[in-house]
Amino acid sequence: MAQTRSSSKLLWDVVAYVIMIGLAIICVFPIIWTFLTSIKVDEDIVTREMVYFPTRFTFDNYVKLWFQSSYPTLVANSLIVTGLTVLICLLTGAIASYSFSRFNFPGRTQLMLGYLVVRMFPAVLMIIPLFIVMRQVGLLDSTVGLAIAYTSFLLPLFVWMLKGFFDSAPKELESAARIDGSTRIGAMLRIVVPIARNGLVATCVFVAIAAWNEYLFALMLTTSQGSRTWPVGLQLMVGEFQLPWGMLAAGGMISILPVVILFAIVQRVMVAGITAGAVKG
Amino acid sequence: MATLSIKGVRKSFGSLEVLKNIDIELEDGGFLVLLGPSGCGKSTLLSIIAGLEPSSGGDVTIGERNVNNVHPKDRNIAMVFQSYALYPTMSVRRNIGFGLEMRKMPTPERDAAVKKAADLLQIEHLLERKPGQLSGGQRQRVAMGRAIVRDPDLFLFDEPLSNLDAKLRVEMRTEIKRLHDRLGTTIVYVTHDQIEAMTLGTKVAVMRNGVIQQFADPQIIYEQPANVFVAAFIGSPTTNFLNGTLEATNGLLSLRHGGGSLDLGGLQQDVGAFVGRPVVAGIRPETLQVAETGVSGTVEVVEPTGPDTMVILNVGGQMLTARLGSRDRPKLGQAMTLSVDARAVNLFDPDSGDRI
Amino acid sequence: MSRALYTAAPPRTVWESINPLRMIGELSETRYWMYLLLLPSALLITAVVLYPTLYGFQMSFREMRLNRPDVGTDWVFFKHYIRMVNDPIFWLSLRNTAIWVTSSIALEFLIGLTAALALNRNLPGTKLLAVLILLPYFLPNVVAGHMWGLMLDPRLGVINDLLMRVGLLDGYKAWFADPKTAMAAAIIVESWHSFPFFTLLIMAGLKGIPADLYKAADIDGAGPLAQLRLITLPMLKTIIAAAVILRVIGLVNSPDLLLILTSGGPGRSTQVLSLYAFQMAYKDFNFGYAGALSVVMFVLLMGFAWIYVRLSKVNED
Ligand SMILES: Nc1ncnc2c1ncn2[C@@H]1O[C@H](COP(=O)(O)OP(=O)(O)OP(=O)(O)O)[C@@H](O)[C@H]1O
Ligand SMILES: [Mg+2]
Repeated sequence: MAQTRSSSKLLWDVVAYVIMIGLAIICVFPIIWTFLTSIKVDEDIVTREMVYFPTRFTFDNYVKLWFQSSYPTLVANSLIVTGLTVLICLLTGAIASYSFSRFNFPGRTQLMLGYLVVRMFPAVLMIIPLFIVMRQVGLLDSTVGLAIAYTSFLLPLFVWMLKGFFDSAPKELESAARIDGSTRIGAMLRIVVPIARNGLVATCVFVAIAAWNEYLFALMLTTSQGSRTWPVGLQLMVGEFQLPWGMLAAGGMISILPVVILFAIVQRVMVAGITAGAVKG
Repeated sequence: MATLSIKGVRKSFGSLEVLKNIDIELEDGGFLVLLGPSGCGKSTLLSIIAGLEPSSGGDVTIGERNVNNVHPKDRNIAMVFQSYALYPTMSVRRNIGFGLEMRKMPTPERDAAVKKAADLLQIEHLLERKPGQLSGGQRQRVAMGRAIVRDPDLFLFDEPLSNLDAKLRVEMRTEIKRLHDRLGTTIVYVTHDQIEAMTLGTKVAVMRNGVIQQFADPQIIYEQPANVFVAAFIGSPTTNFLNGTLEATNGLLSLRHGGGSLDLGGLQQDVGAFVGRPVVAGIRPETLQVAETGVSGTVEVVEPTGPDTMVILNVGGQMLTARLGSRDRPKLGQAMTLSVDARAVNLFDPDSGDRI
Repeated sequence: MSRALYTAAPPRTVWESINPLRMIGELSETRYWMYLLLLPSALLITAVVLYPTLYGFQMSFREMRLNRPDVGTDWVFFKHYIRMVNDPIFWLSLRNTAIWVTSSIALEFLIGLTAALALNRNLPGTKLLAVLILLPYFLPNVVAGHMWGLMLDPRLGVINDLLMRVGLLDGYKAWFADPKTAMAAAIIVESWHSFPFFTLLIMAGLKGIPADLYKAADIDGAGPLAQLRLITLPMLKTIIAAAVILRVIGLVNSPDLLLILTSGGPGRSTQVLSLYAFQMAYKDFNFGYAGALSVVMFVLLMGFAWIYVRLSKVNED
């Protein structure tokens, strides 16, 4: 009896490994393939017979993309937009999330639900008016305008996710700090924020990745070199200049590098935060 | 050090009335224990005293100062929480000194104060650790250290011992009593452990559903409970309640109950108006003794506990628990008679539950 | 006793009472503090979400063509909505949206659940594998689209080559150029990109199921499949319901991936509603009609969410 149970457990363990390794390969293979393509010479990409491993390595694609196209400007713009988005979320969202986490006041539940429901609004429905409004106030085609537009879907997310992290610091800590001589804001900054620091970082990273990756708003709200972000720029290069696969792959690798690194570093805390926010929502 | 005066304090959360018209006066250096079942509003009252929650009405005065509109940080109180609420990111030293740091005390003085408090509580060797590296009992001491280092007007304790194991709880109880004797600071102490209440308090307030049932010295609470609830809440095993009719023959009071008649000569209460009417007699298990006369019944349960033996007696359909000596081991079903010390009996009005 | 000095609040000087930090500190002790904390974000959300949405609603009742100033911006009431009823592309898009959303979710859920169950066994090496399996969810649509575009390329796609090597395919296939396979290929790319969302949520849900339940089931002799059916899935009901609705919202609302992969083509075989609305705005600059399309999308989504929540509640009782 014990024999069969442990052998069936072993069987299921093997099945689990097969599934996990198989899925991991499927998940990572496109990235590896793109990387291989990016370091192949053109003759190895456009061939009659598929070349799996490059015969020669070259960083030409990276060099060309970086020095002969506007890619550095695009990346810089994206960095600025991402930074601004995180900053706005941090300044307005962190305190809102703190308020939801710490206080019980009339209208709290409804407001929190409101922050959730705005995620249901179709992007297209908001993009068009945002386009018109941004044009009126002169924020169209600017990094600031784009960052503000991003807060429309990232701020609610930020607030919900961060709330999960704030919730895990007991309320009594604040009471203790207030009795010890802090004001409420002092208790928040000195006690609660240091405890929720990891969560705060993870939430910021999550929002940063989302802003860095965003395509649709950027496509509609930026029109020139001055504020265009890399997803839009890359897409344009593909459309207008028939960007060769090698350079396209190089562009893709450059732009996912920060995402992969950040994700690998903070993934555990971030995963906890996403699920906490989603579970309660 | 200061007196504490609470007058007509109320608190509602929305439509839920949690505290109703609380009145308490505590002398300088007094030790008030708030006692009551879970959810009766003890923590809420403490939060109002601390200023962490605004009250819905009434006045709180600490010393000569009405503190209704004073922020917690300016009330000069210290509090020990049930969960200890130690700041997890700070060392024990900084935890204890945090209140002084906030009040901008220079570092050398602060270190001296922290050292003195740590000395008193024997936690000097723990000063450099983080709270996460401490045992429950050690955390409890650190939380106490954080409170005493400030030399406040008033200490607030919210069930500080309830997370400790039984042995440590007794030890810390003694420690708190020693600290109070030594520092002489006024203390408000919340618990639902009646032994803590009796051993520590100079005054005890028994609460139920946001209302103070009785506010008195611990001895009075034990000997003359204001109502059936207090009588049942204080004491272990709980007070026996014997229903019957009060009778007076030739000026001698007695209680006629299902299993006979109980002589109440020596009763401390003035119960004249209740003669001939139904009453409830509160009889503490520890006042019952094996004897020739008194209440008689058959033994239903025998529970030896070591030093004592609890015997449950069926007296005409009503159960009576007696706390007898360890040698008294009656047999099940055996008939038994117990004498009742009438001086220790309290009579209650069965309608209102109040002491007559 | 010198300590007495520090037991009360530090004395206030004139400078301190106008010190901005101290003023914020004082403000934080008032009873309106929680509302003050909410104010900035609430204002921002009003400005970038509520106002544009309302604007979008009223826009759908007006003529609004950015490239045709001559037609003006008059109220046209239900003109756009009437046009929609008679617009075959609208109906086609609606049908495609239904296929797109249901197929993607079914596939994502199945893969996501399988992955979560496997990862939840906490075998050695799981942590690393989890990172790899969750990674696609965090990659940009643009890059995900082009990675698959490269792999599915009709002339140099590695997938064509691999499929031919194992004998599943006779010759290279143009997956995105064939109306018969374009939608299926797009659904596969979308599922690759988003299944980790289900994995994430289901893993969280699995952590919340008490291990004792499985021990009890073991003792009762229930096998792994019976345990999945009788314990795991019922316990995960709420979380799966939440994940599905969030994904439906995402899939209905964002045309990004299809825009990159196919732009709705070939023909209109991958034209979905959100894409149609976006192109109406971005290419044709017909903001009025685009607005009407998004409003209909929003209403359909709300309706779906309402019915869905209703149904999952009824199922619970
Ligand atoms: N913030 C709040 N909002 C609504 N109701 C509350 C709030 N805080 C406490 N209550 C309610 O007030 C009542 C009293 O709570 P309180 O915490 O004071 O009880 P307690 O006597 O300390 O109980 P315990 O012994 O369990 O600690 C309870 O019924 C509780 O549910
Ligand atoms: Mg309490």
